[in-house]
Amino acid sequence: MSQGPIRFQGQGCAAGIFEGEVVLSKQPFGFWQGMDPQTGIVIDKRHDTCGLSIKDKAFVFPFGRGSTGTPGIFLEAVRNGCAPGAIVNVKSEPMIIMCAVLAEAFFRVTIPIVDGVEGDLARHLETGDRVRVDGSTGVIEVIGRG
Amino acid sequence: MQLTDAERRILDGAGGEPRRLALQVLVKLGEACGAERMVEIASAHLVASSYQIAGEAGIAIYTQLAEQGARVVVRTTSDPGSIDFARWREFKTPAEYAARQTKIAELLDRMGVIPTWTCTPYTTFNVPHFGEHLGWSESSAVVFANSVIGARTNRLAAYVDLCAALTGRVPCFGLHLDEGRRGDVLFELDAELSADFADHHFPALGYLVGQVVKDRIPVILGIRRATLDQLKAFGAASAASGSVALYHMIGITPEARTLEEAFGSRTPTERMAVGRREIEAVMEQMGASEGPVDVVGVGCPHASIDQMARYAALLEGKRVHPNTQLWICTNVVVEEMARKMGYLDVIQRAGARLMVGTCHNDCPLEAWGFRRLATDSGKFAYYTPTTVGTECAFASTEACIRAAITGRVERR
Repeated sequence: MSQGPIRFQGQGCAAGIFEGEVVLSKQPFGFWQGMDPQTGIVIDKRHDTCGLSIKDKAFVFPFGRGSTGTPGIFLEAVRNGCAPGAIVNVKSEPMIIMCAVLAEAFFRVTIPIVDGVEGDLARHLETGDRVRVDGSTGVIEVIGRG
Repeated sequence: MQLTDAERRILDGAGGEPRRLALQVLVKLGEACGAERMVEIASAHLVASSYQIAGEAGIAIYTQLAEQGARVVVRTTSDPGSIDFARWREFKTPAEYAARQTKIAELLDRMGVIPTWTCTPYTTFNVPHFGEHLGWSESSAVVFANSVIGARTNRLAAYVDLCAALTGRVPCFGLHLDEGRRGDVLFELDAELSADFADHHFPALGYLVGQVVKDRIPVILGIRRATLDQLKAFGAASAASGSVALYHMIGITPEARTLEEAFGSRTPTERMAVGRREIEAVMEQMGASEGPVDVVGVGCPHASIDQMARYAALLEGKRVHPNTQLWICTNVVVEEMARKMGYLDVIQRAGARLMVGTCHNDCPLEAWGFRRLATDSGKFAYYTPTTVGTECAFASTEACIRAAITGRVERR
């Protein structure tokens, strides 16, 4: 059971509101060759979330390893209904933010993104916790422990 | 962001729905990245031309745009596709897969994209000049355009590149600005390595540099001479192992005649000395596998006519081993020139194949069941364990061609 604050303040990078479960990673992540867009399952064998589904989850990882093909895989997951529901990073690179912008522009799917959360978010969250992510205000609230 | 009257009119829909949507995406990118304005571009290059990247989502997006009458407004070229359009059966590509790639080709045609199908558009019809602003995405082409030519482009994402092509603009930040192009990390070759720097050291050094700098700007001191192909190989490796979009090589690349020019008023945030030991260590990491090899990959990034001449010379009068495939990746322009020059004939007589408009990494190869790949490319070495699912042996071009002939890769 995680301890600590239940409300975190970060920067809103892409608007929208999400409520649901957390998948927490302590490693950088690349969607290109990192996620199966047909299922939303992490397939990168070197990654600490390998085998977990990030479909409709708040996917928390430090930063993206951004191939320029990233939105290709990401939008394929969006089209299949298998994309993460929200993304929380230490630092969100343009490639990740573009995924949310493109998802909204072409598929009218909103995926809030928050980065730059004060304090060590990863120490206060666990996979399975329930959170509310507000991509406009940058506020993340823990609403249930997993 | 400060937008011009023309840009405001586009956002109001005066240029049609595709351009409105495209500019809206670019404005959001600009706002997220602190751009103050847009900058007009001379050309675009699209990475999501391959079905492997674009998938059904890409077909849906391109269909929507094409049906709304989208047309590119600047010279726009396509990255490799996921099939060799002329030889996909030969490469055992499933017919349904080839049909989906062909669908993407039709949609890009309708939007006015030049079908170059290459990661080296600068060997075809998309040749930037110094200082020109671009909207390019393919990572190896971006690093070449910025570093070797001195043109200016950020690493655009898939589909954002098309937004740039449809509007002729990108948000002005990062590598479009003088202050975004200064060096961060200095790599100094020691005297021995500098004197003895071999062809296959270019991709190896690029791979090492990318690992160290991630997305910062490296400056390399100690390279005495380099061909365009060597600079291409260095950049592609650095853009794969890291996300290098611009490097400076003192005395070689155009914005780095001196260290002062490369760093501007900055001082290096980090310095690293590189000698034989560091180069050997990174080559181990890139692929130290030895033994029977079932596939050899050269031409990543796509081979130039100079490289075709070299492969032909190495293959003259030789025969590729019956258990080994030697696939040379290139674009249709170089293919045609190689045919006229007689190189193609020599290469094919030796039993090697040309893989045109695609490559080992973009094409589905499950049907082949490959186990070990030998390559002279740092980019292939980085991606192949996941894309082709093979063990990898990184070696010089000569050693790769030799491996294709003997059927075994011996690294030294």
